[in-house]
Amino acid sequence: MCDALGIITSSANHLHVEGMQDYRPMGAFSFLGRYRIIDFPLSNMSNSGIENIQVYARENPRSLTEHLSNASSYNINSKRGKLQLLFADKNKANEIYNTDVEAFNQNLNIIERARQEYVVLAPSYMVYAQDFDALLSQHIASGADITLLYQHVNDAREKYLNLAYLNLNRQKGVESIATNRGTAKERNIFMDTYIMKKALFVDLIKKAMKVSSVFTLSRIINESLADLDVRGVAHRGYFAAASDFKSYFDANLDLLDFDQASALFDPNWPIYTVTTDSCPTQYFEGASIRRSMVANGSLIEGTVENSVLGRGVQIGKGAVIKNCVILAYAQIGDGVHLENQVVDKWAKVIHVDNLISDPEDPGYVKREDVL
Amino acid sequence: MKQQSMLAMILAGGRGSRLLDLTNKVAKPAVYYGGKYRIIDFPLSNCANSGIDVVGVLTQYESVLLNSYAAAGRRWGLDTKDSGVFVLPPREKADADLDVYRGTADAISQNIDFIDSYDPEYLLVLSGDHIYKMDYSKMLDFHKANDADATIAVIGVPMKEASRFGIMNADETGRIIEFEEKPEHPKSNLASMGIYIFNWKNLRKMLVADMKDPDSNHDFGKDIIPTLLADDKRLFAYQFKGYWKDVGTIDSLWEANMDLLDSKNELDLHDHTWKIYTEDASQLPQYIGPDADIDVAYITQGCQIEGSVKKSVLFTSSVVEAGAKVIDSVLMPGAVVEEGAVVTRALVADGVRIGKGAKVGSANSENITLVAKNVKEAE
Repeated sequence: MCDALGIITSSANHLHVEGMQDYRPMGAFSFLGRYRIIDFPLSNMSNSGIENIQVYARENPRSLTEHLSNASSYNINSKRGKLQLLFADKNKANEIYNTDVEAFNQNLNIIERARQEYVVLAPSYMVYAQDFDALLSQHIASGADITLLYQHVNDAREKYLNLAYLNLNRQKGVESIATNRGTAKERNIFMDTYIMKKALFVDLIKKAMKVSSVFTLSRIINESLADLDVRGVAHRGYFAAASDFKSYFDANLDLLDFDQASALFDPNWPIYTVTTDSCPTQYFEGASIRRSMVANGSLIEGTVENSVLGRGVQIGKGAVIKNCVILAYAQIGDGVHLENQVVDKWAKVIHVDNLISDPEDPGYVKREDVL
Repeated sequence: MKQQSMLAMILAGGRGSRLLDLTNKVAKPAVYYGGKYRIIDFPLSNCANSGIDVVGVLTQYESVLLNSYAAAGRRWGLDTKDSGVFVLPPREKADADLDVYRGTADAISQNIDFIDSYDPEYLLVLSGDHIYKMDYSKMLDFHKANDADATIAVIGVPMKEASRFGIMNADETGRIIEFEEKPEHPKSNLASMGIYIFNWKNLRKMLVADMKDPDSNHDFGKDIIPTLLADDKRLFAYQFKGYWKDVGTIDSLWEANMDLLDSKNELDLHDHTWKIYTEDASQLPQYIGPDADIDVAYITQGCQIEGSVKKSVLFTSSVVEAGAKVIDSVLMPGAVVEEGAVVTRALVADGVRIGKGAKVGSANSENITLVAKNVKEAE
């Protein structure tokens, strides 16, 4: 058992995924056919033995509320354990007020009442596997006040834009937390994952509230580096942040590399999700499918290559789907040719012959839209 | 306990010995079917979808797996305050020694106390080894409308096969006038599906008498139904239209799986209004590799396909490696067909590995080949 309160944070207000986010928060984005992104932090916490988990929702919480309505889907003990969805009143006057610190502050008494000594914070919009129990042990052994998880990358010029990164000294001490503007190749991208004592977390929230309404948790930590021992720990293995539309698209298609997918999906570290009890997928005469991930309940008559298909997707006769992410229950008509598209849930692409975008600038078909 | 209008009891004690090695360690209702299901998911899901809250599952043969499987009522949504799946193997009681279930009727008789605790007006008796979708609430409406003492679901079978079934001969109103078990010269083609609705008070009386009758087989078909008819009770045949299969043999289990490949198959597991619920596997979606070749197939979560799959049904987490071929076959959960191996007209049991380059089954075989043990790599 891991003596920590788990907190899953909603996306920061400076990140936005075009199109998709109009309908649901990033954590509720469909991922790799049958998951939602929040399944990853939730499964990490559940597998780590964290029994008390708070999920912070910011906007359009309907899909999250539905998805998280049953803690046992995540293997969380239904008596001892707790999966709580927390809301913060949104300040409509100015988006700048809607910080993570503000959301924590509005729920501070609930956080303080939790019986756990530590907190583990992880974002709802990043995909990675991590044993938080091992990370907590490492944190305690190090004697640090705060541990931050990061991934060392060498493609920070084109990717991970607007995410934070850590400047570290040789002892992995954090010297500053800054924003990746794509000015250097190598960066230690901060995975918005924190471990610290709950008492310190509460102090930091109170302190941030006193200093400024715009202060976020990472900002107050950055301002407190002189007084606190804050260290980075490197994560190894698959890591993706669905922090903008392109990175969401890429993260799905990257995992069509079966070796990459196997690295993320360890049989001893299951990723849980909510079953919809769909039947298996049916492939008809004339179907052709290669290098793809397909969720259950789909009906496939056409050609699918290098794509991810969600549950209950229909691909018509003679349709050609290449490099696409097709979300659940979408329908692609006979003979329609799609390349480099994200087709949102329940959309129908039946009245167009071709929809082809540049892989660097994938297209988007709106939820429930008929094209 | 809150009173239940109709309680369901599923007879799930049979071995199904003609399924050979598939039922060595599990009872027939626990046998896999349709890519991700076990056979008993069908009656259990039908109960849940028909609004039946309390289901007893009568188990006997190799029941460890089946007991724990059926007891997880949450899978079928039967885990609310007033609902539940109750596993009922034979038990020792204060006034009776431990005894096996001597027949289908005896299995119910030995659980009269359980049924009484819900004080139901009607009792639905089902078989745990049939594949079909049916709304039992409609059958109950029919039962009530006829003011029946018992209603038996029947299905039209081809006349030439009628001799293999229990045949109900009914008058034009649907009232059953005669029941013949496997008749040599059948008078009708209405076969009993082994689905009964009884008025509980009346059935209870009969069961108490039947338990004490030394000449009885304690069987619904052989004893209870004939007695009801002899007593001139109102028995009605409820005619079911749709897919129904009793998979008794390896060939018929294979065939029932192959039926799913037909785009117009009557079972229609895609129907969102009548889902069949089952165990939830924490597995990746199916992965289809860059050189895979799939033509007419039914494939589920966790499968990994790098080779060729034609006219086949692949269960959870089965693997077809590069260069391997699976033709007209069924791969049960976790079966692995290694590189270059060829599987033709075969049913590969769960967890079985077909070694590199090995060949099993044959396109011209009369029967389907059951592969229940690992097959070594070809020399």
